[in-house]
Amino acid sequence: MEKIDLFKLHKADYIQAKEPKLVEVSTGHYLTIDGIGAPGSTTFDDAVMALYAMAYTIKMTRKKHGKGDYVICKLEARYWSPTEECLSKIDKSQWQWQLMIRTPDVVEEADLIQAAKALATKGKTLSVNQVKMNEFEFSNCVQMLHVGAYEDEHHTIKKMLDFANEQGLTPKSEHCEVYISDPRRVPADRLKTILRMPVN
Amino acid sequence: MLVEVLWGMPQVTYLRILSFMRTRTQESYLSRMVNVLNYIQENLDNDLCLDELAKQACFSRYHFHRIFSGMLGESVKELVRRLRLERAALQLKTSDISILQISLAAGYESDMAFSRVFKSKTGLLPSVFRNTMKASFPCSPIANIRYMTNERISSFEPLIEEELTMNVMIKHVDDIVVAFVRHTGPYQSCGQAWDLLCSTLAPEGLLGGNARMIGVSYDDPDVVDAEKLRYDACISVDDSFNKQDGIGIQTIIGGRYAMITHIGSYDNLSTTYRQIFGQWLSQSEHEAADKPCFEIYLNDPESTEPEDLVTDIYIPLKESNHGEN
Repeated sequence: MEKIDLFKLHKADYIQAKEPKLVEVSTGHYLTIDGIGAPGSTTFDDAVMALYAMAYTIKMTRKKHGKGDYVICKLEARYWSPTEECLSKIDKSQWQWQLMIRTPDVVEEADLIQAAKALATKGKTLSVNQVKMNEFEFSNCVQMLHVGAYEDEHHTIKKMLDFANEQGLTPKSEHCEVYISDPRRVPADRLKTILRMPVN
Repeated sequence: MLVEVLWGMPQVTYLRILSFMRTRTQESYLSRMVNVLNYIQENLDNDLCLDELAKQACFSRYHFHRIFSGMLGESVKELVRRLRLERAALQLKTSDISILQISLAAGYESDMAFSRVFKSKTGLLPSVFRNTMKASFPCSPIANIRYMTNERISSFEPLIEEELTMNVMIKHVDDIVVAFVRHTGPYQSCGQAWDLLCSTLAPEGLLGGNARMIGVSYDDPDVVDAEKLRYDACISVDDSFNKQDGIGIQTIIGGRYAMITHIGSYDNLSTTYRQIFGQWLSQSEHEAADKPCFEIYLNDPESTEPEDLVTDIYIPLKESNHGEN
């Protein structure tokens, strides 16, 4: 059985454009976890850990049972503020987010329940119970690669907004980020992040 | 103990002693390696066993070969092969021993095989070499050890890359209990062991959280045939883990370790090991302990580009400084 690699299979969804580009992102299934708090805070890191623990437990358990194999996709995240204010204007500890890992649609609800139960029994973080499976429809998006520190993303977002305006498009929901680089290894000024802004 | 005594001293004195100790260990690595090289020269016709060579200079049997190839730039096997060829070249020039005899003494099964190798090194067949006044055996570009008839080697320039900067941290590591699957064969094909380990541990809820992915390699690929390389794929677990079919449980023994982060493809790990042993360790005040090294993998090779892979390499050190037990 061939290993599914969604990142390669949907190459067009993960285009790393140097300038804003209009793309139609295919609908996909995602393992998700929601929370509130600054990126890098204990809550945030715990959620990342829970999401990855679930992703790998589900993948390897399915593999053991002969249900095929797939590559774990990159981490993605959407951030928004409760008051719909611009994120840069509110304290990071108030940021709301959804962390996501794209997952083949063959993964079933039962896989999640089983994985969460196994992990919780072994004393891993209880946040595994918060991990859900969602279908997500991004459809039309303005997308661009941001190179640099996460704090400097607003420059890229500004470019994307200007591009959207020129095209007569309006953002319809919070933007999404796909983390290409590993922040443990890559210096902040060289971090690669795909920014994706759903538009009408 | 020495460290405790030193604490009471003024900083400058302490640093001076430290740098003196470092120079001493450096010299000690060098002079001990010189003993090994002389032993090799004197025993070129014997089967040289690595344990014996390590013993000659009180090196850890475990890591001797990595220190050797790291400092010399070639493996023991390569050096012996080269010295035997250099000796053969000298014999061709200075004696009338038959080419067949010279070939056999150089460790070749026939003069044909010897001629082929000799020509690839010198550009000349042994018979032509013998009769060409100006012909000489080319110097090896990497090492400065050459075959000598009656002299002993007194020193050599170890291989040091000027540009190389290694960020090494000395750490105390606690014992780590791990579930593991043994793989025997080329390191590149250890994926099956990882698959078995991960798919057995996943349904038990043992992946994720603080579970670390650890690789323990027991053999130096420069010495041991690829088919015989032993490697344990390990995942840290707590004491409650029960042994299962195909999955063992063992403890990675804690203690002092030097930790170096390797960034990039796993294929280049052996180069980093060679640099650590040959260049960092031999110039440090530390001595390797008789325990295997281990690696902690910080990302998933399946979804990470090879150049972005991060691996922490742990080299076991003896508890005391400057080579004394």
